[in-house]
Amino acid sequence: MTAKTNSFGTKTWQMTLMALRYLSGRKLRTVLTTLAIVFGVALIFAMNLVLPGIIDAFNQSMASVTGADLTVTNVAGGSFDPGPVLERIQATDGVQAATGILFRQFTLPERDEGDVLGDLKEIELVGVDPATVNDVSRLVMHEGRFLEPGERGSAVISTSAAALAPRLQLGTDFSLVTASGLQTFTVVGLFTSDSVLAVPQFILTLPDAQAALDQPGLINAVEVLLKPGADRDDVAAAIERGLGDNFTPADNATLTALPAMDVAFAMFNLFGALALFLGAFLIFNTFRTVVIERRRDLGMLRAIGATRRQITQTILIEGAIQGVGGTLIGLLLGYGLAVGMLAAMEPIMHEFIAIDLEMHYSLSAFAIPMILGPAVVLAASYWPARSAGKMSPLEALRPVPLAGMRHAARWSVIAGGVCVVVAIALLVSGSSGAIAGALLFLVGMVIAAPGLVLPAARLFGPLVTLWFAREGDLSRGNVARQPGRAAITASTLMIGVATVVMMAALVNSMMGLASDLTRETFASDVLVVPQSVAVYNNVLGAGEGLAEQIRALPEVETVATLRPASTSTDGSPLAVLGIDPAVYAQVSSIQFIEGDADEAYAALRTGRNAIVTALAQKMLGLDVGDDFVMETAEGPQTYHVVAVAHDVLTFKTSSAVISQANLAADFHTSEDVMLMINLVPGADKTAALADVQAALAGYPQFTAHLSSEYGDDLIETSMGATRLFYFVAALILIPAGLGLLNTLTINVLERTREIGMVRAVGGSRSQVRRMVTGEALLLGIFGAAMGVLSGVAISYGVITAFSMIGWELPYTFPAAGIVAALVIGVLLALSAGILPARSAAKLDIIRALQYE
Amino acid sequence: MSIVRTEALTKVYGVASQPIYALNEVNLAVDEGEFLAIMGPSGSGKSTLLYLLGGLDRPTSGSVRLRESDISALDDDALSRLRRTSLGFVFQFFNLVPVLSARENVAMPLILDGVRRVDALKRADDALARVGLADRGAHRPSELSGGEQQRVALARALVAQPAVVLADEPTGNLDSRSSDEMVQVLRQTVDAWGQTLILVTHDPRVAAYADRIVFLKDGKIVDDNRLKGQGSAEQIREQLNIMALG
Ligand SMILES: Nc1ncnc2c1ncn2[C@@H]1O[C@H](COP(=O)(O)OP(=O)(O)OP(=O)(O)O)[C@@H](O)[C@H]1O
Ligand SMILES: [Mg+2]
Repeated sequence: MTAKTNSFGTKTWQMTLMALRYLSGRKLRTVLTTLAIVFGVALIFAMNLVLPGIIDAFNQSMASVTGADLTVTNVAGGSFDPGPVLERIQATDGVQAATGILFRQFTLPERDEGDVLGDLKEIELVGVDPATVNDVSRLVMHEGRFLEPGERGSAVISTSAAALAPRLQLGTDFSLVTASGLQTFTVVGLFTSDSVLAVPQFILTLPDAQAALDQPGLINAVEVLLKPGADRDDVAAAIERGLGDNFTPADNATLTALPAMDVAFAMFNLFGALALFLGAFLIFNTFRTVVIERRRDLGMLRAIGATRRQITQTILIEGAIQGVGGTLIGLLLGYGLAVGMLAAMEPIMHEFIAIDLEMHYSLSAFAIPMILGPAVVLAASYWPARSAGKMSPLEALRPVPLAGMRHAARWSVIAGGVCVVVAIALLVSGSSGAIAGALLFLVGMVIAAPGLVLPAARLFGPLVTLWFAREGDLSRGNVARQPGRAAITASTLMIGVATVVMMAALVNSMMGLASDLTRETFASDVLVVPQSVAVYNNVLGAGEGLAEQIRALPEVETVATLRPASTSTDGSPLAVLGIDPAVYAQVSSIQFIEGDADEAYAALRTGRNAIVTALAQKMLGLDVGDDFVMETAEGPQTYHVVAVAHDVLTFKTSSAVISQANLAADFHTSEDVMLMINLVPGADKTAALADVQAALAGYPQFTAHLSSEYGDDLIETSMGATRLFYFVAALILIPAGLGLLNTLTINVLERTREIGMVRAVGGSRSQVRRMVTGEALLLGIFGAAMGVLSGVAISYGVITAFSMIGWELPYTFPAAGIVAALVIGVLLALSAGILPARSAAKLDIIRALQYE
Repeated sequence: MSIVRTEALTKVYGVASQPIYALNEVNLAVDEGEFLAIMGPSGSGKSTLLYLLGGLDRPTSGSVRLRESDISALDDDALSRLRRTSLGFVFQFFNLVPVLSARENVAMPLILDGVRRVDALKRADDALARVGLADRGAHRPSELSGGEQQRVALARALVAQPAVVLADEPTGNLDSRSSDEMVQVLRQTVDAWGQTLILVTHDPRVAAYADRIVFLKDGKIVDDNRLKGQGSAEQIREQLNIMALG
């Protein structure tokens, strides 16, 4: 017992040393498995660098403009009459001061080079009451002065705005896009913005902002300063009691994005999760093999006195080394990937939703992959490590019996089957559980896979035998011999193939959408559209004046407009679209699914009636004849469903179409975001377009197009988006291919002696090669078949999720994608088989027979 | 006084309806410093007996006593500790961890027991010197001949100064010259250091070096010869033949 000091260190160091030696002893495999982690981490890191930017860009942040303690808004996000609300709030216990504001974030239209607004893209316009805002405000003036009561045409801008538009200085005049055309304002002051990343702010007096946003006399938030010592939660509750359900006071820290953003986030994160899944599989598979392969070494260590825990540790240490190493390399690669992704996405995103993307170096972007990478490796190697520890020294020294295999296989099929059934239920329930359902489906398939190996080998074996008549049976036997390993390998391939199917389905649907747009939707001759047609949130529309002006053009027969609002019903988000029931039918080829078109339009003109989209019908359970309650600026209002209809361009979401009169009354908005124009018969379209464009001179937020040409543009844009999807799919296929290569390599190594035997009894080199290739083919077919099944499930889930963020894509069964995925899966398997097959064929007979 | 003793040691494999008695009520006592060879036809239970003596497996019934304490009562961790401190093993195959050098392999039981690495390696060098491989410590197993590998394994079995060294056909894979070298080293450890040694072998020439030979057949001891190292290979071969006929 002399030198037992520092015993933990010496043992761990020895184990680490041994782990390193083992890892470097099998360099190729170490590299292959580590690569899987590298890819997973890289994808997660890249997603976390890029995604928050996308989310932020989407995010209609309601964060306090002035840094007040509480912000009170209408639950429907609508604007409201300040009088009674302000009074009530000011009278609430604990409230020191309150002021009403009207704010809106929107994207500035493209401008000429040298415009005084410089590089500004997205801005927040804020209307304040100069008399009271300073009681609540914590704005720090940087230069100049603040606004004065009654002042018009003056603006105070944030330093973050000035940073992007250096020519915007004290005293500078600038033209700002507004709902009533371009208006000129003068900068009278600059205030210091909290962070350079904050959306640049332009503060106007309330009347100016109300005119610019076409919201006369209205505000959309009340900012509250609490009395010193007042409890924030108590005051919030008191305000809520005083104002009723229609208003909600929110802690500024907790104001978050639309609920739909959660779905978007979940969907984008799906990629990262899939990649990590893959990584975990590869690691798990490799370590399981490592344990089997090294069972003699491990048994020997047990025989000479290593405890179970020490054995488990040696394997875990190996995992930790690979996890940490793979993560570090993955971070580097992920950064590169993020740069590439931004470059690829920027133009597409810009066109679709008019936002700019930036990388976000948040703590979580680093922390998530840095924790997840090693954690996944440890988790994936834990089970094999445990089973290594459990091995008795004798098991290690004698051949392993294969008892209990069938039993376990049956349970895996049952457990997997249950998962799949639950997953399908989640998928068809269509709620936000769709993504969860998609993932669960995958998990179920993975769980069931070991039990499916034997049936699959039996089912697909004859196919392989067709090709490799003599070696097919050997290949099949070899696959079936290690059902666990075959299952994991097929599962990795499954994920890759499922991703391809999912991408194909998405692309299919998007292309379907785009061609629907051209063929059906544009019943009007000319379209006036904002910068973004997918999301209206950050679009600044136009007041009634623009439509009037265009209606007055001689070539124009009808102008129908579209006015958006957003609300919720029963807690689910609902988009509201205001139309003019008298003319809308003339410009739109809206398809009625239930209810009669004429009757529906007639009903919209009277009372609170609504046409709902097919999606709203499905998601919210609204049917013709039902009543439902929408949150509005005027409190909850009951609407009656008169028809279910579908129109790809305007009815992208779960939406309700109501009359513009009701929209004005209940949502206090009459802002047009899209104008559909029909020309008098025989009018010269090109000339008419030029006239419309001239009318738009003061409204740079709009562009006019001939409907037919616009459809073609949309197709082009969609095509651009598909490139990105295929790129991600290709990335996922790389680790799937690595998994196959890994398994086949291990299989060949493990059977070295057997291969020698086959050669010794007269098997030719090419027969050995064909045997391994047949094995690859069988694994490929099995994995691809499972991948197609899960791909269909995932794509259904993702498309449902897409529709929840406002991109309602018709689900098209991706038949071509499935064929492509099958082909890709099989080709991938065959090419992964090339190297192992060749090395198996090259084995020297004598050496192989002596191998151990 | 015996250092290892079994009482009605029985090991049954297989299902209850078709039991395979690998060992059937074996009573065996081995004295301290004794060199015991176990012989017998294939499948007679030699390895099984060795594994039970070494705490690698648990008996179905009966007991194994090492220095009068019943090792079948120990839990797995205690057995592991016993193996690295009081027992040494040499097997026919796969004795060494291929990624470690010879001296690291030899030092392994000490390191697993928490001895400081430098001290463990120093003791490993001493053990290697005892088996005549003082200069090969830095080599990997793949760089050593089969005979050298087995002697490294013996050095590892000896390094912790165990009560008993157990060897299962340690020469089974060696040519006759390497086999002779190995056996001479084994004999020397008994003579020079009083090491207790139990060895399973098929080879009468190896068994001839032993002090005592126990013959197993169908899980039972059928003969027990005390040779005191004076036996001849011929004699033993004859004995084996008689047993095979009977
Ligand atoms: N794990 C096991 N399961 C079932 N039977 C076993 C197992 N291990 C050993 N046996 C059986 O026990 C008997 C004794 O085996 P053991 O390995 O001890 O023989 P042996 O004398 O060492 O043979 P050999 O000279 O071939 O090494 C044999 O009949 C063998 O088949
Ligand atoms: Mg044996």
